[in-house]
Amino acid sequence: MACRTSPEVGGMGHPIKRKEDLRFIQGKGNYVDDVHLPDMVYGSMVRSPYAHARLKSVHTEKAMQLPGVLAVITGEDLAKSNLAWMPTLFHDKQMVLATGKVLFQSQEVAFVVAEDQYTAADAAELVEVEYEELPVLVDPHKALDPASPILREDREEKSNHIFHWEVGDKPATDKAFNDAVVRVKVDAVFQRCHPAPLETCGCVADFNAATGRLTLYLTSQAPHAHRTLFSLVGGIPENNIRVISPDIGGGFGNKVPIYPGYVCAVAASLTLHRPVKWIETRSENLQSTGFARDYHMTAELAAGRDGKFQALRVETLADHGAFNAAAQPSKFPAGLFSICTGAYDFSTAFCEVDGVYTNKAPGGIAYRCSFRVTEAAYLIERAVDVMAQELKVDPVELRRKNFIPPQKFPYKSPLGWTYDSGNYDPAMKLALDMIGYDELRREQQEKRKKGELMGIGISSFVEVVGAGPAHTFDIAGIKMFDSSEIRVHPTGKAICRMGTKSQGQGHETTYAQIVAEELGIPASDVTVEEGDTDTAPYGLGTYASRSTPVSGAATAMAARKIREKAKKIAAHLLECSEDDLDWEPGKFSVKGAPGKAKTIQEIAFAAYTTVMPAGMEGGLEAVDYYDPPNLTFPFGTYICVVDIDKGTGEIKVRRFVAVDDCGNIINPMIVDGQIHGGLTEGFAIAFMQEIGYDENGNVQGGTFMDYLLPTAVETPHWETDKTCTPSPHHPFGAKGVGESPNVGSPAAFVNAVVDALSHLGVKHIDMPIAPWKVWNILNEKGMVH
Amino acid sequence: MAMQIEKTFQVKEPIEKVWSLLSDPRRVAACVPGAKITEQVDEKTYKGTISVKVGPSATDYKGELEIVRLDAANHEIEILGKGQDVRGRGSASMKMTGKLRSLEDGGTEVKSISEVNVVGILAQMGSRMINEVSNVMFGEFTRNFQAHLQQPGDAPEAEAKPISAASLAWAAAKGAFHRNP
Repeated sequence: MACRTSPEVGGMGHPIKRKEDLRFIQGKGNYVDDVHLPDMVYGSMVRSPYAHARLKSVHTEKAMQLPGVLAVITGEDLAKSNLAWMPTLFHDKQMVLATGKVLFQSQEVAFVVAEDQYTAADAAELVEVEYEELPVLVDPHKALDPASPILREDREEKSNHIFHWEVGDKPATDKAFNDAVVRVKVDAVFQRCHPAPLETCGCVADFNAATGRLTLYLTSQAPHAHRTLFSLVGGIPENNIRVISPDIGGGFGNKVPIYPGYVCAVAASLTLHRPVKWIETRSENLQSTGFARDYHMTAELAAGRDGKFQALRVETLADHGAFNAAAQPSKFPAGLFSICTGAYDFSTAFCEVDGVYTNKAPGGIAYRCSFRVTEAAYLIERAVDVMAQELKVDPVELRRKNFIPPQKFPYKSPLGWTYDSGNYDPAMKLALDMIGYDELRREQQEKRKKGELMGIGISSFVEVVGAGPAHTFDIAGIKMFDSSEIRVHPTGKAICRMGTKSQGQGHETTYAQIVAEELGIPASDVTVEEGDTDTAPYGLGTYASRSTPVSGAATAMAARKIREKAKKIAAHLLECSEDDLDWEPGKFSVKGAPGKAKTIQEIAFAAYTTVMPAGMEGGLEAVDYYDPPNLTFPFGTYICVVDIDKGTGEIKVRRFVAVDDCGNIINPMIVDGQIHGGLTEGFAIAFMQEIGYDENGNVQGGTFMDYLLPTAVETPHWETDKTCTPSPHHPFGAKGVGESPNVGSPAAFVNAVVDALSHLGVKHIDMPIAPWKVWNILNEKGMVH
Repeated sequence: MAMQIEKTFQVKEPIEKVWSLLSDPRRVAACVPGAKITEQVDEKTYKGTISVKVGPSATDYKGELEIVRLDAANHEIEILGKGQDVRGRGSASMKMTGKLRSLEDGGTEVKSISEVNVVGILAQMGSRMINEVSNVMFGEFTRNFQAHLQQPGDAPEAEAKPISAASLAWAAAKGAFHRNP
């Protein structure tokens, strides 16, 4: 896309440096833990060591005797104010502090408040809790066994079953499978993983008894929604709650839910009339806050001998842990998992998901993806490779044969989505050219003759992001529109306030660029402010790649409202009719008389200083609440090349090419940064990360010693490029990109490893593919000498 | 987290002398680092405590020890121990089978097979840590056991010193890094 503005203005398409980085790289960010208030005290959580146990008693006396301890709150204390349980974001409830029994290891049992954080931590050790161990349910496949314990005694339904959800045409799909010549099946687990943002969750709750106001500094991706929920659950009038999300050090979905620690800090501040800070430790974050995935999936694919896909059938068991704290739109118990037909033209499909409870931490959240889209993209891209293996055709050829053709857009998928736009083959072709695909296949043949292992993995993913149209999408009842408010100051500078909240996405830069594009005010003259519910317009926050599709759209629409008013003022100042004016970013000029013009800055000054046209209000500002007509469907092709060491099973990612199509781009440098970060997270998921549990429900991935983060040492080199297929319904044709690399890459990594071993008969390996797994396979196949 | 730990060591003393020590829970407990018998409930059942501190995680287990089988003829003992951490940080259970065998040189081989199940904070550290910790504890147990054997029968019972947190963590870490292949 050619830029319409100069680099100095910095509108759409300019790779301007991120404005926020100036403070971040100087260590001048302001995170929740940087908030220090007078008289502030500190909270620490007592947690359950058991995955399932009856709570017999909680003795707080010794903790209370420690000098400096101010309060120890238990579940029984909260129950007196009806706060022992809180609603989750998905039609369930969750214990704030345990009463009766505990249902997962590290569950919150008591909250200690002390003058300093060290005393609080020491006092938490002094809280004596008596438990009676109960049988533990870890394996979701056993959740519905009659022999398994029923975990949730609070529910009327005495079963570990949470929901059954299905979509598509079952009879037609079953018939297609009966008639099909070629059928394949793959069982794939998308393991439980965790976003592990570098900043853990935390808050400072500051209740001012004199004003009756609660100010809550919160690691929140959705400050407005959290304010409403705190008001509804806590009974505090919403005007008396101010949620402030300061700088956030990564969210990735982990900071969408409300956690017990927040509620306890609020309860403590309401009791003590002092500000209460609570900041999670790393292990608390990994073990108790929103995990992601844990989808146990089976995909079946039916095709003709010619390789044309005929039907897709998907059956999934979703492990939600002890409470269904999934953060997804109300009408979508399995999120947007029904995007599982991917980039392919199916005539029929059927998909069903059952959710179950287990003795694990509650969730699951959408980790750097639109609700359950990563699971879907992974599954279809794996299934296509298994089909290619069955048909003995090249996986690239099979994909290209089955892509939805460009003339079919907007495309209605058999599972109910209307894809806004797509052109899959050019992205595939670009990726193939970049990586030199044919040459790599030749090299692979040569290597196989020599007994060496090399694999090429392809993933041609499609996402569905930007929730969402208010008629279908809400979270906890709140419609998923989003907002932007722009005020142009008399001197022509502006402030833009948003319903979203950046956690590292670069909003302070990109929203400013949208304003620059629409109004011609230089991006450097536009301040973007988010995260303070007292000042920002209402919105549902940042996750599911919704900021650009929804709030970005709102920003453009608000700017256009301002431009309309500016045009009237310009016509007034230039003494001409509005129809005689031409617009170029930053300036209205009289048609045929380019010298006669008014800049946006002159118009802004006039809006505050000159007599306005008759009947027009002063000032130059607008707000827009944008309700998107549809979701957006970014896509791309990723290709990964791996070499495997036969002796150790070690996998080396030799090359990785990522071609993304996210429509029109606001800032190509930020897009590249997003792709790099998301690919690195996808790499970690594919090869390193799992929140595992042993048979007693002990967390096996509860520290960074076991839950591995890739550093620059492990991370491969990423090669990126783009194609551009704008969204037809978005005001400036953008689609959203932050999550594509995490959605699209796991399948590319796994497909590459399986491809390297496919000649040995290997069809699937579950993630994380650690060297020992590969070594075991090689050993079994007699490849290790 | 369940683990099976098998250990064997040899002592110079004859089998009957070793058996008299191995079949006396009070004296065996005195050899276990950080362990203590506090009360005898009946002929076969005892109450006791054991402290284990690994890195930041201090666990004081309080529980029961039961002699499930005592086979003097074959010199075999089976002990079942169960304990909960006093501060509610987790639980552990252990089924230990001890077996003696006479050696040609007049000495005795002591073999123990333990099935250990740990729940709670300690279990999160993973088997690599627990294995190393048990190696260190067992090494100390062996030394204490040998020392007890060399004491005259009527000498006052020496209580094993509670295991030092720092030394245990350090020894376990060393073990983890210098493990023989």
